[in-house]
Amino acid sequence: MSTGRAFDKAVIVDGIRKTFGEVVALQEVSFEVGRGEVIGLLGPNGAGKTTIVDILSTLSRPDRGHASVAGYDCVSEPAGVRRSIMLTGQQVAIDDMLTGLENLVMFGRLYGLSKSTARTRAKELIEEFDLVDAGNRRVKTYSGGMRRRIDIACGLVVRPQVVFLDEPTTGLDPRSRQSIWDLVSSFKGFGIATLLTTQYLEEADALADRIIVIDHGRIIAEGTADELKARTGGSYCEIVPRDFNDLLVIAETLGSLLPEKNRAALTSESDRIAMPAPDGASTLIEAVGRLAAANIDVADVALRRPSLDDVFLALTDDSPEARIPVPTEVIG
Amino acid sequence: MRVGRDPGTGIGNGFVKAGVMTLVYEEATDFGVERRCHENSVRALVPQTLVQTQRILLRWARDLTTIIEVLVLPVFFLLTLNIVLGQMISQVTGHSALYGTVPMNTLAAAINGSTIGAIGLIGERDDGLLRRLWVLPVHRASGVLSRIAAETVRIMITTVVVLAVGMMIGFRFQQGILASLAWLTVPVIFGLACATLITMIALYTAKNFLLEAVTLVHLLVILFSSGFLPVNQFPTWIQPVVAHQPMTYAVDAMRGLSLGGPVRWPLIATLLWAAGVTAVCIVPTLLGYRRAGTH
Amino acid sequence: MRATSTAGPHLSTRAQWWVLTTRFIAPTLQNGELALTIASSVVFTAGFYIPLHQIMRTATLGVASSYAQYLMPLIGLEAITFAAISTAFRAATDSVQGLNRRFRSMPIAPLTPVTARITAAVYRCLVSLTVAVICGYVIGFRFHRSAVYIVAFCVLVIVIGALLSFGADLIGTATRNPEAMTPLLILPPLIFGLLSVGVQPVEQFPHWIQPIVRNQPISQFVDTMRALAGDSTPFGGPVTWSVVAPTLAWLCGLAAILAPASAMVLSRRA
Repeated sequence: MSTGRAFDKAVIVDGIRKTFGEVVALQEVSFEVGRGEVIGLLGPNGAGKTTIVDILSTLSRPDRGHASVAGYDCVSEPAGVRRSIMLTGQQVAIDDMLTGLENLVMFGRLYGLSKSTARTRAKELIEEFDLVDAGNRRVKTYSGGMRRRIDIACGLVVRPQVVFLDEPTTGLDPRSRQSIWDLVSSFKGFGIATLLTTQYLEEADALADRIIVIDHGRIIAEGTADELKARTGGSYCEIVPRDFNDLLVIAETLGSLLPEKNRAALTSESDRIAMPAPDGASTLIEAVGRLAAANIDVADVALRRPSLDDVFLALTDDSPEARIPVPTEVIG
Repeated sequence: MRVGRDPGTGIGNGFVKAGVMTLVYEEATDFGVERRCHENSVRALVPQTLVQTQRILLRWARDLTTIIEVLVLPVFFLLTLNIVLGQMISQVTGHSALYGTVPMNTLAAAINGSTIGAIGLIGERDDGLLRRLWVLPVHRASGVLSRIAAETVRIMITTVVVLAVGMMIGFRFQQGILASLAWLTVPVIFGLACATLITMIALYTAKNFLLEAVTLVHLLVILFSSGFLPVNQFPTWIQPVVAHQPMTYAVDAMRGLSLGGPVRWPLIATLLWAAGVTAVCIVPTLLGYRRAGTH
Repeated sequence: MRATSTAGPHLSTRAQWWVLTTRFIAPTLQNGELALTIASSVVFTAGFYIPLHQIMRTATLGVASSYAQYLMPLIGLEAITFAAISTAFRAATDSVQGLNRRFRSMPIAPLTPVTARITAAVYRCLVSLTVAVICGYVIGFRFHRSAVYIVAFCVLVIVIGALLSFGADLIGTATRNPEAMTPLLILPPLIFGLLSVGVQPVEQFPHWIQPIVRNQPISQFVDTMRALAGDSTPFGGPVTWSVVAPTLAWLCGLAAILAPASAMVLSRRA
């Protein structure tokens, strides 16, 4: 915004604590979001993601701690926060008895635009979001993807500083999902910070600059996708023999490369060996070399990184075995 | 010029070119969004309330079921009552039954409308629309005020329609301009009080229970009022109940204002009832509304 | 749940119907629906009888032994109308929420969900009718004929309720907004009821409307119900075919309309 407070960080959350009666929804949550950053908020249901978004969008107040959005304190200056954010929830929150254009004009006026400005802006957005044919139809008649588009369009009638997207692509077809992804990417170019809640780990992987993992009201991990993946044991080599009876022979051949744990985890039903690759490709080359020297027929050798699924499960699972992936079946 | 725009998705790749950005609103000039004072300033209140009122009215106007329930049915009920009981009542009272049934149906239409308004409110809460509107930079009171304004407008419209039909079959104002204007305001007062009550019930109970319970109470209130039959035609033991019921007072006040007869006491009693109901319900309703908006 | 005679998961339509039906009935005992059903019968009895019995007495002197006897059929009809339609609207929320679509993809016969909903409506009608008859006895109504006729009376009322609930279910499903139609619960039945012989004899109506009053279905139903309930002498003649036939004709006509309508609506709105 040309006017508005100058600020350093788009979102600052500092020591937030929130309880609902007996249930502690958030305990000592702190993080920051810089301008133009996309933060992915991951966590199982009930972890506290929605509570954080509620506090940041002034719908609820923390019991302790501070939160600020675009330089405005969420508790003492909620009006400033509301001027600076856009909030979309899991449901599409639009008046479905009004047409697309009417919705846009209404939101525009409620954001402070004059009637004519709001109308112009509405037409721009309708075109931008490819809803020109549907602009004069009631939103009730729109398809799921169209509804999501008009939903987001209504939040963009004026420029927000921070965008809260709560599971924005749930239930959308791949095409619509891709267009939402493009949109989020474009926010970066405008310096708009995004707080994205999602259950699609691939979405967080693709869009987020940083990922914050929350469980039981506490942040249990924070970092880029790569950093998080590295935390759960990093890359590993996957070796699939042509003959499954060779597994033990391969294990022998690999020798020191294969830790005892992995060796012990091999069962009669294993169809492959997973071996940690601390040196990345070098380990792979070493392994291939040893196998070639021993003349073992191998169907597939690959260097794999844990997926964000593994990360997530490992982090929220909290058990030590989860740290070293020992897959015995195909990983998706 | 937007590049690489895929008509299917509409939001193409690479369309974000420097210099062409309708996607995000660039305020080349200060449109006064910030310049306009604080969100809770009174200057902002009126236009914001008007926008939201317009939204609610459009919603109601575009729903056929709402129109039927709020306009068509009261008119039919008016006609039915006059067909079934009209002659009998005019024989007994000496004047047309219309002076009781027309007011009663304006009041009944107001109650009907409030029920529908309450259902709509719950629907908007469940859809998340209330939440979204709450997070907009609007005056904190504009949401509630817009609902009240929309109710008032709706009640005035339904009152005029029922009145028009009544006049077609013989209703006449006989007490002068001032009294006629006062007549028109009674349904508004009555209706707003009812709306407060019904909205409170809607915000705090399950939908279906509310609807059916309200319709039953509505029926009782209609049948045991002086709009249905003159008070002295009821069995003696129930006459006190009928005579002191809010709808009876409202109908009597309106009869006095149109035909003639006591006005002061029924009008005062109506206001007392309305004030009492509102006083009891207003705080829970506002709290419930705020809760509905923030959850 | 009763399984059929063969072992293993055999899909019995009966069992499925029962599961779906209890799904509607079980909650009523807790969520106040039962209380409302009972209350509605009381409300209709009190609301019609108390205001009207004094003023209508003279009009019905030559037709019935007491106003209670005269009025009772309409009270019963209004009560079950309320029960049937409100149940249908509650249940139609299902299809709006897409549950029906899910049911259709399961090995459930297509009519089973609807039949279950109607069964639930019938249950509510039974409760409603029972309470209405009790209230009727309180105000002076009596059955004057043998048990066969009493059963016929009840069956007739329940059949009307079932058909009504079926129709309301269809409307609720077709409009996708059944809750908003709930305010229709009171006024339309009330309007039809008042414009019938349920409240006062035909001669009391203005001339121009008498043909409508005489021939509308509510009047026919009420006449048949009065005949089945009987009355003390000298009122209440024998139950003749001419009294019953129009009612049966209306019922068959309604059913004939509802069947193809349901096929259309239910197949379209999955």
